[in-house]
Order: sequence, then C-alpha cells, then structure tokens
Amino acid sequence: MTQYVIIGDGISGSSAAETLREEDPESEITVITDEGESLYNRILIKEHAKGKLPEAPISIHDEEWYDERDIDLSLNTFVTSVDTDAKVVNTHEGEEIPYDKLLVATGGTPTQLPVENSDADGIHHFWTFQDARAIREHAEQANKGVIVGAGLLGIDFAAVCGAQGIEADYLMRGDRWWRYALSGAGAEIMHEGMREVGVEPVFDSGVDHFETDDDGHVTAAVDPNGDRYECDFVGAAIGLDFNTEYLDGAGLEQDNGIIVDEYMQTSVDDIYAAGDITRFYDVLLGEQAQNGSWGSAKEQGRVAAVNMAADEEAEQFEWVSSYSITHFDFPFLSFGHPTIGDEHAERKYSDTEWRRIAFKDGKVVGGVLIGDLSPQSQLKQLMREQREVADQAEVLLEKSVDLDELAPPQEQ
Amino acid sequence: MNMAASEPRRRSVQLDRVDVRLERVESVAPDATVRHVDQLDSDTLEAVYAALSADRSVPAAGTGLEPGEVIVFTDYFRVKRA
Repeated sequence: MTQYVIIGDGISGSSAAETLREEDPESEITVITDEGESLYNRILIKEHAKGKLPEAPISIHDEEWYDERDIDLSLNTFVTSVDTDAKVVNTHEGEEIPYDKLLVATGGTPTQLPVENSDADGIHHFWTFQDARAIREHAEQANKGVIVGAGLLGIDFAAVCGAQGIEADYLMRGDRWWRYALSGAGAEIMHEGMREVGVEPVFDSGVDHFETDDDGHVTAAVDPNGDRYECDFVGAAIGLDFNTEYLDGAGLEQDNGIIVDEYMQTSVDDIYAAGDITRFYDVLLGEQAQNGSWGSAKEQGRVAAVNMAADEEAEQFEWVSSYSITHFDFPFLSFGHPTIGDEHAERKYSDTEWRRIAFKDGKVVGGVLIGDLSPQSQLKQLMREQREVADQAEVLLEKSVDLDELAPPQEQ
Repeated sequence: MNMAASEPRRRSVQLDRVDVRLERVESVAPDATVRHVDQLDSDTLEAVYAALSADRSVPAAGTGLEPGEVIVFTDYFRVKRA
C-alpha cells in the first residue's frame, strides 16, 4: 500500500488528495497543514474582509470530507524537516510521518515591508482566512487608510477600504498600478476605479517608515519623499515569501520557488510540488514560469497526483490561467503571463475598456482585458494553440475578435 | 478539461434544457453556494459574461452554472432558472 503525504491543505494540496484517492483507492493519504481549519476558498476571503460575504460560504471542506475519503488530516501541524533518505516528514510535535511519495504544497507567506515599525498594530497582510477576519474587524472601525503594494494583491486592500468606508491613500513606487502588465492608458482606468471608491493613488511614493502612538498602533506612513500620510489602518501586499524553510537540506532545486518539470516532479525522486510555490515548466511558454491563480493551483495539484499515483510521467501540466478583479463597476481579467513577452499590442476602446496582448516569438502568451471580456476565450485558445499571430495583432484588437479573420496557420 | 471537484458541494440538477439568468443580489445567506468567476472554466465565464452584458438568459447546458448558486463578479449574481 502506497503512503502519500501532502504538506499543505490549500486548493492544490486538497485537489491532489482528492485525485489520489480516486486514482489509488487502497493507498494511505495524509494531509498536513499548519492552519487551524481545513480547505477554504482563498479567492473569496477578500469578500469577507470587505464585509460583504459571511464566513460559511467560504468554507469548502469540513473535516467530514476527509473522513469520508479516508484521508488523515492533521491541522495546526508544522513540518520542521523532510528526511529524503529515510523518506520521513518530521513535525513540530516530534512525529515522524513516513512517505513513499510526497507533495509539497505549502504556498507562501506575505512579505513584510523592510521598514521601521512595519510590525505595528494596525498594519495588515492578507493571505489566510484568519487575516481576513482580522482585517474585517479592524476595517469596520478604521477611518483613514494607507495601502502599499501596486499589484494584484494590493488592490484587494483598496477594495476593502472602499467597501468599508475608509478613506485611503494608495502609495505606489512607480508611476502607475501594476506597471509590469499595464501601460498608462490601462492603469488609468484602474486608478479611476480606485478614486471612485475613495482610494487615492499616490505615484512615485512608497513607504520609508511608519509612525506609531505610545500603544504601538500605526498613526502614519512616511514615504521616501518625506510626505506623511496619517492612517489608522494599513494594508501591505508587496509579495510572497515561499514557505520552504523546512526543506533546507532536502536537496530540492529552488529558484524563488521550487523547480518542477511539467509533471510537477521536483529534482528529488518521489517528491512533487504544486501551487504557488512552484516554478514549473510551462509547456506553452517553453520555459519555467510561476502562477498564483486558483485554477492553476488546483490543476497542478491534480496533475501531480495523477503522476504520483501512476509512478510515471502520465500527464503534463498545460494550463492557461485567469485572474480577475471584480471590485469595480467594470471587470478586469488577466490571463496567461501578461508581464512577459517580447512584443505587445494594446488599444483603448472607451473610458472603461482597454485590451493588451503579450506575444513571445510571435505567439500569444498572456494579456489583460479591462471592461470588455468578450475576447477572453479566443485569446486563450490562441495561446493554447501556440499560433504565431503577432503580425496580425490588428485582428486581435478589433472590438469583436473573429479568429476566422486570421490567416490560416502555416504548415510546419 | 478534467479537474478534481474539490470545491463547493454542488447540487445535482438536470440541466439539459434549462436556461438560466443572473439576478443581482444585495446579500448572501450563510448557506448559499458561492463561487468567484475565477473558479469558472472559460466556457462558463463566457456564458456569465454573455448573460450579464446582454441582460439575457443563456443555456445552462455546457456550463457549470447551477440554479441557486451565487457568482461573484462585479456584483453578486444569483443563478436563476429563466
């Protein structure tokens, strides 16, 4: 009987556990998590922090779900090390859990701002359900906010402030939000969305240090220009540190994440990885890549489990990811890898509609759609098909995209 | 696409000939099934977007939409039989 151990009960770990039970009904499966609750919907916790969604619909699995599938779930359990020779996982309580095959799916922890007083009361990071509960509780009483981190995670704080009636300044280091994927034209639509909910973007700023009162509660953020922004609520989202400390000495190849191939196999035999923590080989891109979306993590967990159960390279991970922002009156969707590419095409259609497509070697590798999501299926299809279409970008920038207007693919 | 179904408890509904529409809701009950659009596959997202942008019903068949569930998009929308 094969013993599978999964470290992490996020969507990738949980998806793997479910798939392993289906693929290998007689096996032993153990899921270990340092959190105190089983799988919940990490996409929806921001809605809870905004004060719009109660807790119950965010829970996905209760402990009964694991019992029904004969999956051993260990909550509040910290893995301290992995002995790859003995094939044993060690926990903080001194338990030794043997494995035949191991899945690492521990994701990351928000990066703390490396500035003075960044651990003051009232400064929040946003990753777990517990974080969301604390943010909601504080936000309901706060009056003036500061947000740091001009990316996809930071904008959730802007939405929390907007929904909770907190007037806020959004301090950005560059001249626009998500400057790696948006031009000024696209970013300005997002800036206007922020302003409409009471959040003011501040450019060429950031945080030099925080000020606190005698009780250690944040009272202001001071940016590198010396400008002072009073606040009693701060949301900081500048990135993730991957949770790999317990793997020190295990020999897994890492490069700002755990390196896996397209089968989710790490550089160490019988150890796989899935979810945010991986730098996976993206078969569509032809190089290593990272992705933090829910769908990608879920699929990586499933693919890893298929290959773990098959004990061979049975299925490769091939996926076009999506990430949406649903906080404003207009929709926003990024897909694939919009921050990379050697060529880009973009167009603005109205005050709330904009599109940008990223190409690499002439092929679509990602993009951002604001306001009008109608071409998302066609653009994702082109990315999956790996068609060289950059020289026909005009067709893809038409308001309504018709793939039949593209020249037929060349025979290889 | 073959994805493990480790997500909200889904009601089993015969949807072969059912059209659905999306109705904006102001609040969500604790026992509601709620999904964010990022949990939808590309075809289902397209159906949601078509239903909302044209304010019309769409066939449920071929999508993952289930009457009664709430979809989080730019607002909260309950899936209703048309």
